[in-house]
Amino acid sequence: MNRRDLLGNVYTAMTGIGLAHLLAGDSRAASQSAHVAGETHHPAKAKRVLQIFCPGAASHMDLWEHKPSLEKYHGQPLPGGENLVSFQGKNGNLMKSPWDMPPAGETGKRISSMLPHMAKHVDRIAFIHSMHSKTNTHGPGCVFMNTGHAQEGFPSAGAWTSYALGSANDNLPTYVAMPDIRGEPPNGKANWSNGFLPAKHQGIALTAQQPIRNLDRPESISADSERASRELLSLLNERHAEAHPELTELRARMAAYELAARMQLSAPEVMELSAEPESIHQLYATNDANPLKAAYARNCLLARRLLERGVRYVNLYCASRASGVDGLLNWDAHKTLKSDYERHCPIFDQPTAALITDLAQRGLLDDTLVLWTTEFGRMPTHQEGTTGRDHNPDGFTCWMLGAGVKPGVTHGATDEFGRRAELDPTTVWDFYATVLHLLGFDHTKLTWYHNGLDRRLTDVHGNVIEPVLA
Amino acid sequence: MKRMVVTTLTLLLPSIASAADVDFAKDIAPIFEQHCLRCHNPGNAKGDFSLATIDQARENEYLSAGDPEASYLLELVTSPSENEPPAMPKEGDPLTDEQRELLRTWIAAGAEWPEDVVLREPSLADKSWWSFQPIADNEPPAAGDAPTDWQKHPLDRFVFEAMTEKGLTPSPMSDRHTLIRRATYDLLGLPPTPEEIAAFEVDDSPDAWERLIDRLLESPHYGERWGRHWLDVIRFGESRGFERNEIINNAWPFRDYVINSFNDDKPFDQFTREQLAGDVIGANDPEVEVATTFLVCGPYDDVGNQDAAQAAQIRANTIDDIIRATSEAFLGLTVGCSRCHDHKFDPIRQTDYYALYSTLAGVTHGQREVATAEQRQTRHEQLAPLEEQRNTVQQQIDETEQAIRERAKQQEADIAADWTRPPVSRQMTEETFDPVDVHFVRLIVEGSESSPASDRSYRIDEIEVWTAGEEPSNVALAANGGRATGDSRVAQDFDGAYSVDLVNDGLFGARWIPSTPQLTIELPETQTIDRVSFSSDRKGDSVGNSVAAFVSEYRIEVSADGEEWTEVANSHDRQPINEAHRNHRLRQAVITGEERQQLAKLQKKLGDINSQIAAVPALPVWWVGNYSRPAGPFHVFLGGDPQKPGEEVTPASLSFVDAVAPPPSDLTQVGQARASLAEWIVDPSNPLTPRVLVNRVWQYHFGKGIVDTPSDFGAMGGQPSHPELLDWLARQLITPEAEGGFDWRLKPLHKFIMLSQTYRQSSAARDEAIAVDADSRLLWRFPPRRLSAEEIRDTMLSITGKLDTRMGGPGFRLYRYLQDNVATYVPLEEHGPETYRRAVYHQNARASVIDLMSDFDCPDPAFAAPRRSATTTPLQALTLMNHDFTLDMADELATRVSQDAGDQPTDQIERAFVLAFGRSPDPNERDVTLPLVEQHGLNTLCRVLLNANEFIYLN
Repeated sequence: MNRRDLLGNVYTAMTGIGLAHLLAGDSRAASQSAHVAGETHHPAKAKRVLQIFCPGAASHMDLWEHKPSLEKYHGQPLPGGENLVSFQGKNGNLMKSPWDMPPAGETGKRISSMLPHMAKHVDRIAFIHSMHSKTNTHGPGCVFMNTGHAQEGFPSAGAWTSYALGSANDNLPTYVAMPDIRGEPPNGKANWSNGFLPAKHQGIALTAQQPIRNLDRPESISADSERASRELLSLLNERHAEAHPELTELRARMAAYELAARMQLSAPEVMELSAEPESIHQLYATNDANPLKAAYARNCLLARRLLERGVRYVNLYCASRASGVDGLLNWDAHKTLKSDYERHCPIFDQPTAALITDLAQRGLLDDTLVLWTTEFGRMPTHQEGTTGRDHNPDGFTCWMLGAGVKPGVTHGATDEFGRRAELDPTTVWDFYATVLHLLGFDHTKLTWYHNGLDRRLTDVHGNVIEPVLA
Repeated sequence: MKRMVVTTLTLLLPSIASAADVDFAKDIAPIFEQHCLRCHNPGNAKGDFSLATIDQARENEYLSAGDPEASYLLELVTSPSENEPPAMPKEGDPLTDEQRELLRTWIAAGAEWPEDVVLREPSLADKSWWSFQPIADNEPPAAGDAPTDWQKHPLDRFVFEAMTEKGLTPSPMSDRHTLIRRATYDLLGLPPTPEEIAAFEVDDSPDAWERLIDRLLESPHYGERWGRHWLDVIRFGESRGFERNEIINNAWPFRDYVINSFNDDKPFDQFTREQLAGDVIGANDPEVEVATTFLVCGPYDDVGNQDAAQAAQIRANTIDDIIRATSEAFLGLTVGCSRCHDHKFDPIRQTDYYALYSTLAGVTHGQREVATAEQRQTRHEQLAPLEEQRNTVQQQIDETEQAIRERAKQQEADIAADWTRPPVSRQMTEETFDPVDVHFVRLIVEGSESSPASDRSYRIDEIEVWTAGEEPSNVALAANGGRATGDSRVAQDFDGAYSVDLVNDGLFGARWIPSTPQLTIELPETQTIDRVSFSSDRKGDSVGNSVAAFVSEYRIEVSADGEEWTEVANSHDRQPINEAHRNHRLRQAVITGEERQQLAKLQKKLGDINSQIAAVPALPVWWVGNYSRPAGPFHVFLGGDPQKPGEEVTPASLSFVDAVAPPPSDLTQVGQARASLAEWIVDPSNPLTPRVLVNRVWQYHFGKGIVDTPSDFGAMGGQPSHPELLDWLARQLITPEAEGGFDWRLKPLHKFIMLSQTYRQSSAARDEAIAVDADSRLLWRFPPRRLSAEEIRDTMLSITGKLDTRMGGPGFRLYRYLQDNVATYVPLEEHGPETYRRAVYHQNARASVIDLMSDFDCPDPAFAAPRRSATTTPLQALTLMNHDFTLDMADELATRVSQDAGDQPTDQIERAFVLAFGRSPDPNERDVTLPLVEQHGLNTLCRVLLNANEFIYLN
């Protein structure tokens, strides 16, 4: 039984020597060392990950990275960028941020005045202002940020984490994706795909508005009937398994039915937000008058409940896809930056900050890694004929906090205007090399053979970003 | 400490300090090849520096011959200080002290680089790799020690020899029940009927098995089963992928082409030629041209990009998909890995990759008419007279309009004198009128900015209705009880996106996108009002931007009851917003009743002609891609970056097999390059194609291939478990029929394999054999397997008698297709009878997750899936227990069982087991099942049977 078969199954009843080991000139694919879920390469700082994703390319210079020169040179041409043609076309002159960035926390870190709640957390955060991407298109950009490859079909970071660590609670999915009430992010489900990893590593879509598919017993079947059905199924399967010891999967499938039954009990419990005290609901603003904010807040609260029950990876989205009206449903402020972010920031700010506060007050930040990501940044100029900004793959901000992360630091920077990553340019692969490092893994050694290569979350790149490690 | 060591070593290595002892080929070249060339080669040139030759090192003065201290190259590979690693190499271990000393000595001696020596990073495997060698002309072993049955069939003799070497022995033959299930699922992907099982079990004629195989191979379901395998291999998907992921509704003719090709047993060399170059070899023959969908059925990014560098990258990615699909499917080589640099494991050069690039660069994705010359001619003849009529009528209309325009011009000044008020404003358009008591207010739009004739291409961010008096209050506001109604553009995944509620939420920025010319506001109660204001860009940050396209002409009406309406304001005395609106107003003012009648008549006539034109049958438009002469010349893209062209390339075959499969001659013509490439792929001298093909067939019969990485026959792939057998079968495949071969046909190959003892063995486990070969790669038993997603679904439909066996045509969908700029695929809660066709006809979209199909490992066609997974997850259990499809199938099965077996529970149980498992229940099973049927009904039992392991595992 080779490694891939072993991992493709929940349980295996039989073991034996794989033929691969018997064949002369063993292939690299068949002989690569088995990774056993949970066996880290070095002691881990983080046991689980929360990844908050703001799709649409959330503007670094309007949210996180202070660029005083934009104010100073507002309305003047971007030096060297006179004929800049980007995703949607020509660009105009430099455009200052519509908001100021007052200093916050003890570190005095400046972030947008549109994020007053997040400002309370700046001392916890390790900002990475020098991210850059391979693509300037949302779909491939989101997929790149989630999987380390701009082409869809590769496993997402959550799937790799599930493969690396395995489950900490069999009664719940290991990896949960929480799309926004406004819809799926660009490229949809490819963002939480297991790619070529076994299906058990896929992100299971679950939000406060959308329970796990097919979870509930159908209404037409009574509890009695269900119990009797399951008993008979077990009996038939047991007899069949005894008669067919050659079918090693049979026991695994019986176990999967038991897991499913336990999930049917656990999942509704975790979704029972009414079990939370009123103070918690107020902290997150789950009953806010703005229905979009309330919906995101409920997902934030659900994310915490999932994490504290042992879900390994939560991929939480704030905003969704491209609608054809740029910046309406996500952070893609091509034409009217101010109006767009006056809609998006209030939805994002309080619930996200509350989630961090809540994780901290429960001690969960000690072993939970929190990531904030977007697919790329925005131009320092305004898009010609508009008051918005076009796509900028050459510089943007992501951040992390929590388990093993040095609090209150800033790593890297874009240039004076925010056009390009300049100081310590950082790739998506560096970002995930760091994430895997904190989870206890050497990113170059966590591999899976597929179509000619031992594939990695970090492709063939990536260096751990040492300065953000505690 | 470290520095001390260096010094000591230097002192301790006097023997290599002499120039005479440093040999470039032996000492220096390997250092560069193993540590530098990966990044610094002509095809990648990181830092614009290549070390393949000495030229650049000399030009850049990185090397100072005779002076190691002045050589930057040496500095780069030396630690600058104790705690800092050397700057180079960036990846991998630093050079050893010994290697550095060799370099130093070499430089000191003059840095001699023998002329014409070009260094390359060596790949793991070279041209001598097993899969690049000619197919052996071997004979099956005698297998004299084998049981008599195992000595007859050539295949058995190979298999027996291989297992004997590991001390394994074959298993006995399976029983008849197992055999017919195995063969029927294998060839058709469907279960045998109880009647077929019964007939086969009692057929004791010596050729019963052979006749069974013949019958199955003749079934049209064979093409549905094996065609699906090929669709996996070539990443066939029916949506475009990437961000927009729009569905493709006309790729199904290719799916049918594949199914038909399998059913017709089309020789695979022809099948290959057609898929790669059907447009060339079969121009104007739809049956052949359709095959080229192969080239364009992968994912591609169609978002559009004004950034030229990004657009070039996207185009390169699109061609990359075709290169990968072609090289993996036919040749079993991961040529795609040579995009940025020479292949790390196989001797595939970057120039090989870009030779394929130039061959395929004329292909673009899309749809086009696919028709015969006769079809085109017939259509042309039908259309010509109608188009002439249309032109005549159009001319009459134009003349009438011209007369109206001229008259309007003359009266322009008089008419325009009435337009006294300023034009409408996006930021704020306001109407005041005498106070009136109303319950309802409505805005009727008569024209939009973009066109006076368009009454619904406008947007509104807010509308206010003000009460009369000293302290006017906005009673339209939702917070004040106002209610807005009006149809909107639909976003089915988020109905609030463009909702009419946005017009009275008190917030600006997000706008109502209407699909109607009418916006109605219902006030909380009857109010006295005297003013209405509305806008599309209240914040003024969308000047000139179409996101805030506004109303240009309108009326405002009020009503007390929502039935009787009174107009209180309109735009007609405002100045028109532009020339088009001005002309429209003038036309309206001067047009006569007679002219209106005449124009109406002509328009009707025009409409009739257009209907006749539309009624002429259109030519088929299929997703087969488009072809044009690519604008060459083509170059290697250094590091895979289209902005860094390297050496020029022209179409060619793969260089490292030249000696075995000589390159084709004519690769220069448009399209001809693809045809020539196809010829080279299927040339009898090419050892890869037939090996890869027989291995695929083997894999689908036995679960694993002789090579277990079916699309990677390179150094990262698996080694063949039976190399001699693989070659023997490959040779047999391409040998002409007259010489006793299969002539590239698969049906004789299937039959050959299935007639072996190897195929007919029992799958029962034996501990001693498991201990040696748990995977059963040596085929000491028949490897058991789980059914695929398609087989599971098809089996449910088949045993309930509900399977709709219609073949071909447009597919069905198990998702709701939502499109609002981008596509979203939402799995269906209920599957109606229109979905009861074989799963191969499902319109598989990319990045969609579809319950049973995805749960049971039907792959997302983002990539080719040369091998299916067979995973076991709790989600499968949830879907199969709870999705409506299972419940429907359980009910249908119960209905069929009742019809077949009557009312008696014991009879019903008997029939249900026979239908579900192909066998009767044993007494014990009958006993434990009876109470469930009696207490909870027959359909409850049926749901259990559909979930049972026996239902989805095959031995």
